[in-house]
Amino acid sequence: MSSPFAAILQTLTRQRGVRASLIVDQNDGIVVDSNLQIGQDGDRVAALAASLYRKARLSAAAARLGRASFMHLEAERGRICAAGHNDLVLVVVADPAANIGLIRVEMMRAVGALP
Amino acid sequence: MSLVNYATREITCKIVYYGPGRSGKTTNLHYIYGQVPDDRKGKMVSLATQTDRTLFFDFLPLDLGTISGFTTKFQLYTVPGQVYYQTTRKLVLQGADGVVFVADSQARQLEENIESFQDLHANLAEQGIDARAVPLVIQYNKQDLPKDLILTTAELNDALNFRGVPEFGADALHGPGVFETLRSISELVLKRLSSPAK
Amino acid sequence: MTVVAVEAWVEAPLRRFVEDARTVLALLLHPSGQVVAQSGFARAIDVMSACALAAAIHASAGELGRQLEGRPFRGLHHAGRDRQLYLAEAPTARGPFLVLTVFDQESSLGLVRMYFDEFSRNLAAAAPPPPRNAEPVLAQQFEQDLNKNLATLFRRG
Repeated sequence: MSSPFAAILQTLTRQRGVRASLIVDQNDGIVVDSNLQIGQDGDRVAALAASLYRKARLSAAAARLGRASFMHLEAERGRICAAGHNDLVLVVVADPAANIGLIRVEMMRAVGALP
Repeated sequence: MSLVNYATREITCKIVYYGPGRSGKTTNLHYIYGQVPDDRKGKMVSLATQTDRTLFFDFLPLDLGTISGFTTKFQLYTVPGQVYYQTTRKLVLQGADGVVFVADSQARQLEENIESFQDLHANLAEQGIDARAVPLVIQYNKQDLPKDLILTTAELNDALNFRGVPEFGADALHGPGVFETLRSISELVLKRLSSPAK
Repeated sequence: MTVVAVEAWVEAPLRRFVEDARTVLALLLHPSGQVVAQSGFARAIDVMSACALAAAIHASAGELGRQLEGRPFRGLHHAGRDRQLYLAEAPTARGPFLVLTVFDQESSLGLVRMYFDEFSRNLAAAAPPPPRNAEPVLAQQFEQDLNKNLATLFRRG
């Protein structure tokens, strides 16, 4: 039986340059559902991304910038993007050359569909 | 297995009080807890039912002070005595450095004493432990009850102490025999650490 | 965060785990309930109580797992109001060790589990081979010290 998030994750993973997409519980850092390539460590990404997103959210609030809506981490060999809604965080892992603007649009659309 | 730290010069040993239900295992620990100064004992943990029957174990950590230059800590445990707690008794017995068998001196409890003693040996064997190698002391508790209700220590010895281990009559509720039992098992456990390994 | 260890070789792996996973409290113990190392506890004797309870929980859960599905459960998680607890086993050549971790909102279950896996590997790598022959620990005439201390303990001095 597929989860209610399968379609969302599949749409994201079909974007050019996206390697993996996950939905993570923001508080526990545990994977709720994921669309990964073979050999990828979803648990590790989930735990770290959720922690980063939570810290980003708190930082934005502390700086009086309002609610954090999107987080983007750029590294040597890839990018991690995160966008949250209530207790869930949508996480995408992408190539360095991926079109982050398009990915962001798709993620924000997907976040709107989260419970 | 006693835990020995040569760097910090600390020894920790585990003693398990074993025996049939309501023989006085928990009472032994309560008495010890009441006698020992606060700075030499930890919190007594009792996992019990609402009617104060031991559900899982009682636990009392004691600081015995310095012995031969080693800070010596004992962890005293009791097991639940009722028959259907067989599995939890096995779990609590794991890693025991010494055992105090608390027998109920009442004549009508003789069968329960024997069964529990056999249960102890069976559980040790299941762990691959030779029961003869485990320091053991037997306490014949409730010797304060009316004489027509109890067996004498000699009669209980005949029934239980086929190994000839140290044995003590006791009244754990009021204290007699509790200290002597603890001293005896402590000696036996620590004696193993003063002998060359075989 | 200070790590206090009974066996020196566990200190570095445990310190790294405590720092990476941002734990509030951490205990490393033998499955029989004897403490090996701790971080964050105030009193030595409170550590012993925590160890006894952790060992009991682990033993019970393991036995339940064996009865339900033929093998022990991998790890145990309890969520409190402000703090959470994670309890799991780390195998080494010196035998298995249990790790009890308490964490709050500075960390998460996912992080703790992730860093625990790393810690488990580090601990196994750091473990020295088991000792072959145990030397006598106490002096032959230890009874004098024992009797004196017990008498003090029971106020029979």
